[in-house]
Amino acid sequence: MPEIEKNIKDKEIIERLEEGEYKYGFTSDIETETIGKGLSEEVVRTISQKKGEPEWMLEMRLRAYRHWLTLAPPTWAHLTIPEIDFQDIIYYAAPKPPRKLESMDEVDPELKRTFDKLGIPLEEQMALSGVAVDAVMDSVSVKTTFKQTLAERGIIFCSISEAVREYPELVRKYLGSVVSYADNFYAALNAAVFSDGSFCYIPKGVRCPMELSTYFRINAAGTGQFERTLIVADEGSYVSYLEGCTAPRRDENQLHAAVVEIVVERDAEVKYSTVQNWYPGDKEGRGGIYNFVTKRGVCRENARLSWTQVETGSAITWKYPSCVLAGDNSVGEFYSVAMTNNFQQADTGTKMIHLGRNTRSRIVSKGISAGRSQNAYRGLVRVAKGAENARNYSQCDSLLIGDRCGAHRVPEIVCRSRSAVVEHEATTSKISEEQLFYCNQRGLSTEDAVGLIVNGYAREVLAKLPMEFAVEAQKLLALSLEGSVG
Amino acid sequence: MLSVKNLHASVGDKEILRGIDLEVRAGEVHAIMGPNGSGKSTFASVLAGNEKFTVTEGEVSFLGRNLLEMPIEDRAREGLFLGFQYPVEIPGVTMANFMKMAVAEQRKYRGEEPLTAAEFLRMMREKCAVVELDPKMTSRAVNEGFSGGEKKKNEIFQMAMLAPKLSILDETDSGLDIDALRIVATGVTKLKTADNATVVITHYQRLLDYIVPDYVHVLYKGRIIHSGDKSLALKLEREGYDWLINDYKE
Amino acid sequence: MGFSDYMLSDSCRQSAGSELRFDGGQAAPVAVCNPGRLSVAVADGAQARLVLSHGAGCCSTVDVAVGDGASLSIVELFVGGRSTMRIAQGAASRVALTSVVAGDGSAEYRTALDGAQAECDLGCVFLAGDDEHAQVKIRVEHNVADCRSASTVKGVAAGRGEGRFEGMVYVAPDAQRTDARQTSRNLTLGDEARITTLPQLEIYADDVKCSHGATVGQMDSDAVLYMRQRGLSEDAARRLQIEGFVADVVMRCAVEEAGEALLAELNAKLERL
Repeated sequence: MPEIEKNIKDKEIIERLEEGEYKYGFTSDIETETIGKGLSEEVVRTISQKKGEPEWMLEMRLRAYRHWLTLAPPTWAHLTIPEIDFQDIIYYAAPKPPRKLESMDEVDPELKRTFDKLGIPLEEQMALSGVAVDAVMDSVSVKTTFKQTLAERGIIFCSISEAVREYPELVRKYLGSVVSYADNFYAALNAAVFSDGSFCYIPKGVRCPMELSTYFRINAAGTGQFERTLIVADEGSYVSYLEGCTAPRRDENQLHAAVVEIVVERDAEVKYSTVQNWYPGDKEGRGGIYNFVTKRGVCRENARLSWTQVETGSAITWKYPSCVLAGDNSVGEFYSVAMTNNFQQADTGTKMIHLGRNTRSRIVSKGISAGRSQNAYRGLVRVAKGAENARNYSQCDSLLIGDRCGAHRVPEIVCRSRSAVVEHEATTSKISEEQLFYCNQRGLSTEDAVGLIVNGYAREVLAKLPMEFAVEAQKLLALSLEGSVG
Repeated sequence: MLSVKNLHASVGDKEILRGIDLEVRAGEVHAIMGPNGSGKSTFASVLAGNEKFTVTEGEVSFLGRNLLEMPIEDRAREGLFLGFQYPVEIPGVTMANFMKMAVAEQRKYRGEEPLTAAEFLRMMREKCAVVELDPKMTSRAVNEGFSGGEKKKNEIFQMAMLAPKLSILDETDSGLDIDALRIVATGVTKLKTADNATVVITHYQRLLDYIVPDYVHVLYKGRIIHSGDKSLALKLEREGYDWLINDYKE
Repeated sequence: MGFSDYMLSDSCRQSAGSELRFDGGQAAPVAVCNPGRLSVAVADGAQARLVLSHGAGCCSTVDVAVGDGASLSIVELFVGGRSTMRIAQGAASRVALTSVVAGDGSAEYRTALDGAQAECDLGCVFLAGDDEHAQVKIRVEHNVADCRSASTVKGVAAGRGEGRFEGMVYVAPDAQRTDARQTSRNLTLGDEARITTLPQLEIYADDVKCSHGATVGQMDSDAVLYMRQRGLSEDAARRLQIEGFVADVVMRCAVEEAGEALLAELNAKLERL
């Protein structure tokens, strides 16, 4: 094939790759109860009142709100964020009727269809696959399964609103203890207006027998999502928690500012896995979710916290799941695949804060940029004074597809310990012509070859996901490449 | 099976193939020999459809179809296999996964039912045995960290998996010690049937001790300047190329 | 004998705020103490060597233009002081830099690779003793295709010292076939010492080889044990190790004659750590 034709073909492949349509771009028509747009002390009070919260919770919200008023959105990330009018957002939306449901039959059929389209196995097959789902439709939890099984072991897995009512002492003890409302602009906003989310408590010495899973989904148009997740793994316990996101197609940008707090007590272990596939906007860069998330966990003595994330969605991602290794011998891990396409922007990474002695952390970050997207890894490894024998190993790779995207790496290391060892490595690669030719020669289409190579590149991270999730994530990566030439 | 007529190809402004004619029929083994830079590997690449080269003149038909019009993967799915001189590394992609996809694509193209996982695994085990490849190798990433010998064995393993009509083996013997050479060559011989054909591109006669060719061609400056039977290979080994190429030197 | 004196003995002394032009043929190093504002031009195809020395309290800005096919070797020593050097490189030019910040001091380099096939090799060492603050900043801009850059920065912080490295490799759109490497290796010698390293990449082209590595670590205790077994005191063994750690940058000194003087300066500093 002549050179020029070939170039055109390559260009087509890359362009079609950029066009991979958003599979879950549909909206469901559910009657939604909302309050008006805008944010004020009154709105915060209304949210708290609608949720029937105790006085102390309202106080927490108001403190956060008042602090938020003094803050400005952060600008240090490698992101171009259009100015957000925080008064133009609806801060509360709940699907009707928000009453308690005993079985699937009571669930709004339209809502059920939405879940089915997403392939969320909410019904009886859930029992077989061993996954308990606390499905969040907009802001209020609709249905929780497996509560019974979990309850037998003393595991609490419910919506955070329910937890505020049923387990106030636990919530009061831990909420805001890892991510304070003063942490950053979005964390303050979330603390003031969070609508719902999940609460999980694993009692001492209990190994949670199943993967706990929450599917988030934004629905009502123009509704900001302010999820709040609190996971407490008491001494010697274990839990694997899955969070998966899909959102319907929207032309209007939607703000999502979630907070996830994890407390890993002595000898406990938490695995937190995310597959994030919010609507990324169309190929012209219109619409898409703004995903500004604060995720952090604290590890006590001998505890272990492992974050695994596959990020393919959102127009803008601002997210740094972090570990505070407070206890001696604690371990933090961060495994990430962040894929951006078209006009998507991602600034994501992690912070590993070594405070205790013999603490260890490991970071594996795989960035994939295509189209005109910008993909940044931002990391901080901080070894505090007294964190003797701390160890960190970081590996941050970038894969570029096409010559109009950008890949950026901002890994910071701050070390104040004479016995620490911190290592960081990074490489940049592209999909080579030779690799494509080799795969083509074995009968694979270029599209399949690209999917295969990308999955191979991300393998180390995908392998960290629970099995079913890994399969889903692999599909998601290939899906984002759908439409390339056969 | 394969009919090449007056094939010209170039890379950039440089013409590398300058009128190749070649007929390969089912059941035949052809050897293409020739000094460095004569265009042997280019010929193989052009047949496979490597887009680095531009075909400027000539025709190639494969099983009655115009090969030059087909994209690389369709050539492969039709049954043209290229054993690479330098097999490419694909980090993170396991051999098993790679082959599963390749076999599935081929079957789909031919309208055949997909293999079940069990059938595929059995097939993979059988084919590993053909080239004495440790089945554990299939769980490693494609060619990554493979030794020279392992890479070449792996090419023949893939050939066994895909059961091509026409195999073009580009310098499959280069960089092999005598044991690996024997294994690779025996593997190729085992895969030989009356319905398929093999084109062996090599520098040395020694491979042809194991894979006995029906025809030997000498490629020089982008043309086949001489053809003969297997005795030609022996003569080349003894006397070199000078007696042949003197006439063609510029 | 100080570093600058050593170099001045066979070269000319320049006062602050001047211009230097190298039109070719001049191979001997030119040493400049406290250069202040200095601009240096190396003509197309010329070769030159430049040695700069900075003392406490001095603050310099140096602009360097390296013409097409020209080559420039630079050696800088900071015993205090701050300096920003901007280097613009033409096609197929080459810059080799060796810089040592011994104690308080800040060295900042901004290199723009503006012509194809330009190459730069930057080697820096910083040593922060008790209560000292030493830093090196490097920004390398690959503005056109086919350039190569390599930076190696070694840092040591002792006592309550603070060492900082900030690196940035920028690869412009269309700067294809860029080869950029960035390495930051650091040692902390005390629990009050602090090392910060920030090796960044900003890439807008896809056919590039960019790598960066950063480590903060301690001395290899096996090596110390080994040396002690051969009769060295623990202190001596450790010092030897640190010397070795920083020496490999200095050994490849861009201006060979200055290498030993640099090493002497470094060792003197290490004695005091």
